[in-house]
Amino acid sequence: MTRGLGGGLFAFSYALLFFLFLFGPLIIMVITAFNSSAFPRVVPWECFTTDWFGVLVRNERLMSGLWTSLAIGVAVVAIAVPFGLAGALALADIGPRLRAGLYAVLITPILIPGVVLGISTIVFWSFVGRGVGASYDTVFYNGFFLTLLGQVAFIASYAMLVLNARLQRFDPTLTEAALDLGATPGQAFRRILLPFMKPALGSAAFITFLASFENYNTTVFTILSGNTFTTALASKVRLGTDPSLSALAVIIIAVTLIGAMVSEAHTRRQELLRSGKAGQSRFYANPLSRLLTHPGAVLVLLLGVTGFIAWSASRVDANVCRAAILQEKQQLQERLMQEQRNRIQQQAPAQPATPSPSNNPSPFGGAFNPNSLAPPVQPAPPAAPPPSNNPSPFGGAFNPNSLAPKQ
Amino acid sequence: MAALRQLWSTIADRHGLGVAVFIGVAVLFWVLVLIVLPQLAMFDVSLRHNLPRPEIGGPADVYTLKNYSYFLFGNGALNTLDIGVLVKTLIAAVIVTLLDIVICYPIAFILAHSATGVAARMMVIGLIVPFWINDILRAFAFRILFGATGVINGIGQALGLWSSPIDFIRADVALYAGLAYTYTLLMVFSIYNAVETLDRNQIEAARDMGASWWRVHWRVVLPVAKPGIASGATMVFMLTAGALAAPQILGGPSNLWFTQIIYQWFNDAGDWQRGSAYATILLVVCLAFVFLMMRVFKVSIGAIGR
Repeated sequence: MTRGLGGGLFAFSYALLFFLFLFGPLIIMVITAFNSSAFPRVVPWECFTTDWFGVLVRNERLMSGLWTSLAIGVAVVAIAVPFGLAGALALADIGPRLRAGLYAVLITPILIPGVVLGISTIVFWSFVGRGVGASYDTVFYNGFFLTLLGQVAFIASYAMLVLNARLQRFDPTLTEAALDLGATPGQAFRRILLPFMKPALGSAAFITFLASFENYNTTVFTILSGNTFTTALASKVRLGTDPSLSALAVIIIAVTLIGAMVSEAHTRRQELLRSGKAGQSRFYANPLSRLLTHPGAVLVLLLGVTGFIAWSASRVDANVCRAAILQEKQQLQERLMQEQRNRIQQQAPAQPATPSPSNNPSPFGGAFNPNSLAPPVQPAPPAAPPPSNNPSPFGGAFNPNSLAPKQ
Repeated sequence: MAALRQLWSTIADRHGLGVAVFIGVAVLFWVLVLIVLPQLAMFDVSLRHNLPRPEIGGPADVYTLKNYSYFLFGNGALNTLDIGVLVKTLIAAVIVTLLDIVICYPIAFILAHSATGVAARMMVIGLIVPFWINDILRAFAFRILFGATGVINGIGQALGLWSSPIDFIRADVALYAGLAYTYTLLMVFSIYNAVETLDRNQIEAARDMGASWWRVHWRVVLPVAKPGIASGATMVFMLTAGALAAPQILGGPSNLWFTQIIYQWFNDAGDWQRGSAYATILLVVCLAFVFLMMRVFKVSIGAIGR
């Protein structure tokens, strides 16, 4: 441990704080997914419910966007990974003088703002489309095709970085040995280099898929009037929020955590097997624990536990609790109205003015007003279903002035 | 040209003709068709008038600097609104970048030199998991956190720190926190990659000779971390300046990000030409800023992504 340099107590507490910062927002979001309140929040806690998962699944725009996103993701992987590999190979064999230049060119797409990439892609292809006299229903005005090209432009750079890191550890004498032993260059490539690159190809495919799936900045332009999962999500968040998005986060986090644990189990198993100490390890002495530490078994176990939790949670009926809350609210409202009526009656002789709601400053300052976040006009909402539930119980209804002035 | 021919024969000899053709076609297509030509097309369009479709290519379709002069002068005097938004975006991006450097440097150092074995692996997983969650959902989480009835306001009011809800969203606190949060992973791994190469004996030696801990960091660790910090800072700065989702979701109602103006010209006003001009301005200004900073701090572009 390095003395007084981030070792010991300071390092521990700093790391703790840091991970609190990383996970705090996610934990809060997870909690809100199970609160029956129509606005995502932790307090006041109303009822435990899993209804928001149902609301999420019934959102057709999100679900159709999901399929589009998956299709685009697969296509992007299929193009970006080979492009990245080509870039990495070119970098490996290029002379030192040109290398820096090529590296700069291949890395730039990561630095170009996604918005710029999206715009330049649609402008360029509509330019090409006009050049060949294509009509609007051709590939040049197709959101799927444009999104694919716009995303590949920069996602291939991610693949290139991952593959380049692995390629730098490749020993070129291996290829030369194969050539000396009579293999054709193509054979050497397929039998020596590609197998060496396999793990990196896997992680590159994974990263490119994720990057494609969650990309917003480029896609929001290139998808034109269509929707991917992320753009549908974004327009939903901007129009008004409800806890079904938290429910989505719960699903993603659960999948991520299960994936991370299974991959951890896999790594440890590989290490154990490679180190040759498998025989001495207590996990391998016992056939049961040997089976249980297998990544497949870990996956099955985790899925089972998650499934059981989901099943038992879905059996909790929130209706009774929700009715009670509703009743409570109605009573409160009645009491408030009664008080107000009394006050008006008292004031009536002296001051006939009724309290107008517009004088009432909203406690939310209009921050939750859906209109205040969205730009004035939505980009061609294709049969957009009106936001089914009010984002906030107050919904800015108290505050007609809060439609923020747009410049 | 000779260098290119040499490259071609090297690849063809080593990997075969098929692979060489594949590399050549893929890299050319990627660089030319996906990167360079679209930027040129965007620049070309930004120099044109916003004409109805039948008139495009006709006699009225001439080059103009109108869209750029609109950015500078608006409809009359200086266009303080748009220029102000651009400057504000850049300043905010710098603030977020600095914030990330400050937050991530200790973690990267701990990860590289203090944490071991299981703890280090758990830290890496802990860093990656939040990064897998969608950008939009991350911003959404910060809206829940910083809303008027959010957790922060709830805790603050319960502890009696402040009495009425503070509007963190209007004050842009939520936006800065959300942006800094989004890009921590990039910064941590960039700095980590650099700091990891530091020989721990150097730290020990400095300590033995009586250097205080901050002096060790300043004189021994920071010089090694510099390329990593530069690489991370470049990426965080560019991504923050080009962010669209987080400002749309977390930005205050009267507060625009420059990308939002581009978005409005493009999608709401349907003025591709002006949108392209603004996008070009964003690209040029951001790249110029990054290259200036690289010059000032004496790092090369080759350090990025390492």
